Amino acid sequence: MCGHGPTPAIEPVVVVSNERVATGVCRVVLDAPRTAATVEPGQFVHVRIARSADFILRRPFSVHRARGERLEIIYQVVGRGTRVLEDARPGDVMDVLGPLGHGWTVPEGTTRALVVAGGLGAAPMGMLVERLAEADVQITLAQGAPSAGRLLARELFDSLCRRSVVATDDGSAGTCGFVTVLSAELLQRERPDVAYVCGPEPMQRIVAGQCAEAGVACQVSLERLMACGVGACLSCVVATRHGQKRACVDGPVFDAADVVWDSDEDPEAER
Amino acid sequence: MSSVDMRVRIGALELRNPVMTASGTFGSGKEYADFFDLARLGAVVTKGVSLEPWPGNPGQRIVETPSGMLNSIGLQNPGVEAFCDNDLTWLARHDVPVIVNVVGHRADEYAAVAERLEQESGVHALEVNISCPNVDAGGMAFGTTCPAAAEVVRSVRAVSTKTLIVKLSPNVTDVTEVARAVEAEGADAVSLINTLLGMVIDTRTFAPVLARGVGGLSGPAVRPVAVRMVWQVSQAVSVPVIGMGGITSAEDAAEFLLAGASGVAVGTANFMDPTTTVGVVDGLERFCQERGIEKVTDLVGAAWKR
Ligand SMILES: Cc1cc2nc3c(=O)[nH]c(=O)nc-3n(C[C@H](O)[C@H](O)[C@H](O)COP(=O)(O)OP(=O)(O)OC[C@H]3O[C@@H](n4cnc5c(N)ncnc54)[C@H](O)[C@@H]3O)c2cc1C
Ligand SMILES: Cc1cc2nc3c(=O)[nH]c(=O)nc-3n(C[C@H](O)[C@H](O)[C@H](O)COP(=O)(O)O)c2cc1C
Ligand code: FES
Repeated sequence: MCGHGPTPAIEPVVVVSNERVATGVCRVVLDAPRTAATVEPGQFVHVRIARSADFILRRPFSVHRARGERLEIIYQVVGRGTRVLEDARPGDVMDVLGPLGHGWTVPEGTTRALVVAGGLGAAPMGMLVERLAEADVQITLAQGAPSAGRLLARELFDSLCRRSVVATDDGSAGTCGFVTVLSAELLQRERPDVAYVCGPEPMQRIVAGQCAEAGVACQVSLERLMACGVGACLSCVVATRHGQKRACVDGPVFDAADVVWDSDEDPEAER
Repeated sequence: MSSVDMRVRIGALELRNPVMTASGTFGSGKEYADFFDLARLGAVVTKGVSLEPWPGNPGQRIVETPSGMLNSIGLQNPGVEAFCDNDLTWLARHDVPVIVNVVGHRADEYAAVAERLEQESGVHALEVNISCPNVDAGGMAFGTTCPAAAEVVRSVRAVSTKTLIVKLSPNVTDVTEVARAVEAEGADAVSLINTLLGMVIDTRTFAPVLARGVGGLSGPAVRPVAVRMVWQVSQAVSVPVIGMGGITSAEDAAEFLLAGASGVAVGTANFMDPTTTVGVVDGLERFCQERGIEKVTDLVGAAWKR
């Protein structure tokens, strides 16, 4: 069921570098030959940041890029685990469980793609744009962030996308406003074959709606709290038109048309 | 070094070693078969199975806590029919005893599930879950009073010839009372502990973190409570006890055996390391070898006399 990925495994990894790349956001590079060789765009790894009884759960992170034997993860420092991760130094050892999940798919015959990323939603787009560029797909990418200092991976995106545009909430770069303003316009103007979306769920929902209206196939990458990461515990369910699915194995990438966005549609969930 | 006899007996069932999976943390095993051969385990204990499909609780369903976690999965499962078609069919291809965790809203629902599973030769034992804190009707309500617990066990016993394990709730004043009550109704073994009722409140939003408010606490945080309850119950009943709660290593498992458990189950620790169970199997054998212990059963209750 693991999408197109190979079977997951636990791989001990060594930190190669760990540095700040934007306000409150870091990039860690891990020496992880097995996972790097097998991970597909949109898949994630479940990271054991510290070997302490205080960390009962792993932390899930998308793979931003896989180059040679190395994995790149872009992460925002938000809580206990990511604060410990921020302090990791080259040579530190941790382990990853992966590659996990069902990632992005490129539909047969795709020639034009729109990539829409909000905030940390840019993280899973690195491998995706590389894959699309390899397949000679023309890429337009729209990225949104609170301010210019929070935009991510701009060099990579600028180098591989035919168009790369940005929107910031405070207008410090690109269009002033939400990325959904850009996506609405780009969907109309460019008529892509497929749209790839990741970011805060309300934003994904809006873009999914825009795609449905424009008749454009849309894939979204959804975030849920995860315990096992391999499909066993049902912590991470997503409501879909085909019943409840697990974000860790059936996702994180879903066909937007399948997602039932209103999780409050069913208040009497127990029976 | 000589090899250790790792076999244990739970009712009519002989297991190749005392290490099982804790219900709800291991699916039906499929998700973990990528990591090791399930035949290494004493038994696979499946997630809770009900008569009809249950959708489970709304999210947020989990939260990490100091040395543990709360869950409020709410026994989401596809119902016994789909379970037999998919999970059991898959498990039948593996050389490992299967223990099915059974849940219901009423005593007759438990019995109906047990009746359906009676036809399945691939089911080696039932674990009657009268202790889930995450459902409103049934679940833990049955496990906290003796008459209700006895009623469920009686109705299941009436229709099932399989080894019957009853899973006890720690959310009671005296766990030995319920243990005695279910033993009197014909339980072949008891397992404990299920999760402890707990809660986390977000100090930013002032709201409970879990959608349902409360959830079940598991992981190393509960281990001393679990060991204490296994100690009490194993001396109060004459049927075997399966101990669980926060086991992460062979030493943790040994602690439960010393307290009086005949078998152990690993739950939350599977999430951090999917190979925890096999690590416990190997470690337990080494633990015995290093101490010149020939049979793992020699550990059972060894702490009583100290
Ligand atoms: C499939 C997937 C891919 C992800 N990819 C990235 C990424 O590339 N970059 C990035 O910065 N973040 C990503 N996240 C979110 C990331 O997992 C959380 O930000 C991180 O776990 C927070 O850990 P913490 O200990 O710092 O926070 P805490 O709040 O202290 O964490 C407590 C618990 O909540 C969980 N948790 C907290 N926030 C989230 C969240 N937003 N989503 C899921 N679980 C959460 C933690 O894993 C942990 O179990 C991803 C999440 C998922 C599910
Ligand atoms: C996510 C999760 C789901 C669970 N589901 C069930 C269940 O379906 N039936 C059951 O009897 N116990 C269930 N339990 C309880 C465990 O089987 C076990 O009794 C408890 O977690 C203590 O063991 P541990 O600390 O090793 O996890 C669940 C526990 C967790 C963490
Ligand atoms: S995290 Fe356990 S099923 Fe998805």
